[in-house]
Amino acid sequence: MKILIPLDGSANAQRAFDYVVNNIAIWKDAPKLLLLNVQANLASGNVKLFINQETINDHYREQGEAALESACALLDSNGLSYQYHISVGASAVAIVQYAHEQCVDLIVMGRQGQSGLQTRLLGSVVNKVLHLAECPVMLVK
Amino acid sequence: MLEMLSGAQFWADVIKIIMIDLLLSGDNAVVIALACRNLPHEQRKKGILFGVGGAIGLRIVLTFFAVSLLAFPYLKLIGALLLMWIGVKLILPEVEHIAGNIQANNRLLGAIKTIIIADFVMSLDNVLGVAAAAKGNVWLLVFGLLISIPMIAWSSQLVLKLIDRFPFIVYAGGALLGYVAGEMLVGEALLKPLVEVRHYLHWLTPLFCALLVLVIGKLLAMRKIVEPEVIDLVDESVFAGADKSSTKQRVSTIQGKD
Repeated sequence: MKILIPLDGSANAQRAFDYVVNNIAIWKDAPKLLLLNVQANLASGNVKLFINQETINDHYREQGEAALESACALLDSNGLSYQYHISVGASAVAIVQYAHEQCVDLIVMGRQGQSGLQTRLLGSVVNKVLHLAECPVMLVK
Repeated sequence: MLEMLSGAQFWADVIKIIMIDLLLSGDNAVVIALACRNLPHEQRKKGILFGVGGAIGLRIVLTFFAVSLLAFPYLKLIGALLLMWIGVKLILPEVEHIAGNIQANNRLLGAIKTIIIADFVMSLDNVLGVAAAAKGNVWLLVFGLLISIPMIAWSSQLVLKLIDRFPFIVYAGGALLGYVAGEMLVGEALLKPLVEVRHYLHWLTPLFCALLVLVIGKLLAMRKIVEPEVIDLVDESVFAGADKSSTKQRVSTIQGKD
């Protein structure tokens, strides 16, 4: 069993993660946990003209690691094995694509990640994942 | 000043300026943050401060420079053409720049230089757009500048994401720039005799220019459609019981996979 938990550093995503870790006993065999953080693509043409790709990637990595840090630390201290991944692109597409690549059996997400304004203007990532995903998706309230 | 506030035209201009500022605000904030990334920690704040300050100063100077230039004959014509080109560029999907050898700067002065040059390049379209929309009205000009300043310091990715989600925004923006360019053409001193005789040109020219930008933009955009791609940046496994120091060595980082 492979479970993907996308984390964006928000409290809601953290709650979804906590739910899985606290209830990990409900799976007969310990599931394999995959953590994912998606960074929005900053590098529009003008940015790339002045900043080299290495610096941009370092920035993504730093931001992504910061978002995953507390989850990784908890798993480390509980002695659970996991896999983590940082992608760059549109959140929902990246989540579904990674789930597909890794043949994930379940995606667990918070009910709402981004702020209300972003959701209102851009549509919710959760909705898009529900729509695009090929595997079951569990939402944690 | 007060009569100005009650006019519909004034508010239409205000909305135009806000739109232009939003669409052409550029990624100054991103460049500033990233240019200062490689600085030693204690210099980072200084770099950002000087960078933002310099960028704002540069934009003020450029705006007034643009306005005084536009007063000369012929230059409104050139400005209008440039503005229409900026409108077309807005509609076109982005071309991947093949980045040359850009050195990451770990010196304060180098970082500031990068920021100022970047801001110069990114300001030009915004400055021209605002100058055209303000039509010489100093209040509107100052207002346009004030609106753009927070965007230099804290540009949010929201506008970019919105454009991603609702691509018609760039068409609306392109049309708006075309319209403003048309208004500038009508104001060109050389065309004055023509416009005075044929009064309908006052509204026809902006509409025509807006349409022209849309058509050219659409035609050129059809030739290159690019889907934004998801890039894998970091992929790492941590096994149960492994201590952090050893996992560090197993880092498998995927980079530059385009």
